[in-house]
Amino acid sequence: MADYRDDRYYVDSHEWILLDGDTATIGISDFAQEELGDIVYVEVDSVGENLEKGEIFGSVESVKVASDLYMPVDGEVLEFNADLEEKPELINEDAYAAWIIKIKVSDSAQIEDLLDAKKYQDIAE
Amino acid sequence: MNRTVLYDEHLALNAKMVDFAGWEMPVQYTGIKDETLAVREAQGMFDVSHMGEIRVSGSGSGKFLDYVLSRKISHRNPELTNYAFLCYADGGVVDDLMVYQLGTEDYWLVVNAANTDKDFAYLQELLTKYDRKNEISIINETANYGLIAIQGTGSLTPTLKALSPIYPDLNISKRVEDLKRFRQVSFSLDDKHLVVSRTGYTGEDGYEVYLPVADTIKFWQNLLKENIRPCGLGARDALRLEAGLPLYGHELSSEINPLEAGLDKFVELERDFVGKAMANKQHRKLIALISEDKSIPRDGYPVFIQDQEIGFVTSGSFSPTLNKGIAFALVTADLAEDITEVEIAIRRKKHTYKITSTPFV
Repeated sequence: MADYRDDRYYVDSHEWILLDGDTATIGISDFAQEELGDIVYVEVDSVGENLEKGEIFGSVESVKVASDLYMPVDGEVLEFNADLEEKPELINEDAYAAWIIKIKVSDSAQIEDLLDAKKYQDIAE
Repeated sequence: MNRTVLYDEHLALNAKMVDFAGWEMPVQYTGIKDETLAVREAQGMFDVSHMGEIRVSGSGSGKFLDYVLSRKISHRNPELTNYAFLCYADGGVVDDLMVYQLGTEDYWLVVNAANTDKDFAYLQELLTKYDRKNEISIINETANYGLIAIQGTGSLTPTLKALSPIYPDLNISKRVEDLKRFRQVSFSLDDKHLVVSRTGYTGEDGYEVYLPVADTIKFWQNLLKENIRPCGLGARDALRLEAGLPLYGHELSSEINPLEAGLDKFVELERDFVGKAMANKQHRKLIALISEDKSIPRDGYPVFIQDQEIGFVTSGSFSPTLNKGIAFALVTADLAEDITEVEIAIRRKKHTYKITSTPFV
């Protein structure tokens, strides 16, 4: 049974976003990590770029599949979680602690379009 | 959707189930990585009951198989399990399969689950054009048998411990203990067979046990008691790729013939058989590739030498044993002579891959 946290927002492409002032961290949901299985590689080559909501900021790969990662809102990619370079399995261990990127949110009005935990759970399952 | 007799066992083990060729099968129980490593380092077992068993029997069935398959089966040692191809007239592959001889003029073709119905229909079609068709029968026995593969060094003892109590009247142990690699023994049960072969699809030593559906759950449960790790189709695919073994629909297909896939040693071109024309079409070749960085190649990704596209990845995966990306790629043979590396385009970048030999592990 996947875990859904109500301290953050989600998008239907299975990323979560946790806001902290005008910055935010982004990762993938517990449901997504369960579906992917053993995560063996996380690639982010967008640090420093300004991306729009829905644009690809990286990818996460399990033994079986590669899955693109999408921006939940517009923003500048500030940082990639370096821990994931050596230990991508941290996402399997705790998908909500293992943030993938940190961003500067450019348009806080977009927050209203995000899904809360309950709505996301309905979509995911 | 089809289910094997072990479906409820998989659910009880919390397997993640997927649709595989119309069968609801376990893709993993705990994880592909640890299941793969369990087979490399200890033992694992796979429910592969979805695979097809097509029985070809009757006077002249050996000769019929010689004609429809890429190898002359009828004169081989009947203890051997024989890997061979069933081909279309142009040499494209209908299926790759294993031939078991159960008795005189009595054979089993063990075929890919996705191809069972197609193979059966194709064999029937070839038989109607065959001059001794009235003496030969072709029966799809898939629904009558379970198939469990026990793989990994040291599989013999737990396999026997799990199997012998189910058939106390058969003297199984001695004959299975004496079994050499790529050989099989069969035991007659009332109207069915118990077949044990020292074969597999992982590159490890191990056994494949074909038994009546009614006995399959008991055997599986006995193997669990012997602490054999259940492994899903995800680990099975990773293991076969690491072992450098082809998979139908990837390295072999109606469009990719066995010679292109480098499987010449299972094709006897000097004699007449359906598909011999494959010799005329051999402009591509399969190469084995291993990553230099952390990238992971996937099926269909294009392969380049400098800026020229020379082919595509037929199977690509992360190798849990090597911790690297590995792949088979089908490339234009002329363009891939005397090269030691290629590039694979993975999303926005090209990554260097070294050409290597198989098995990868």
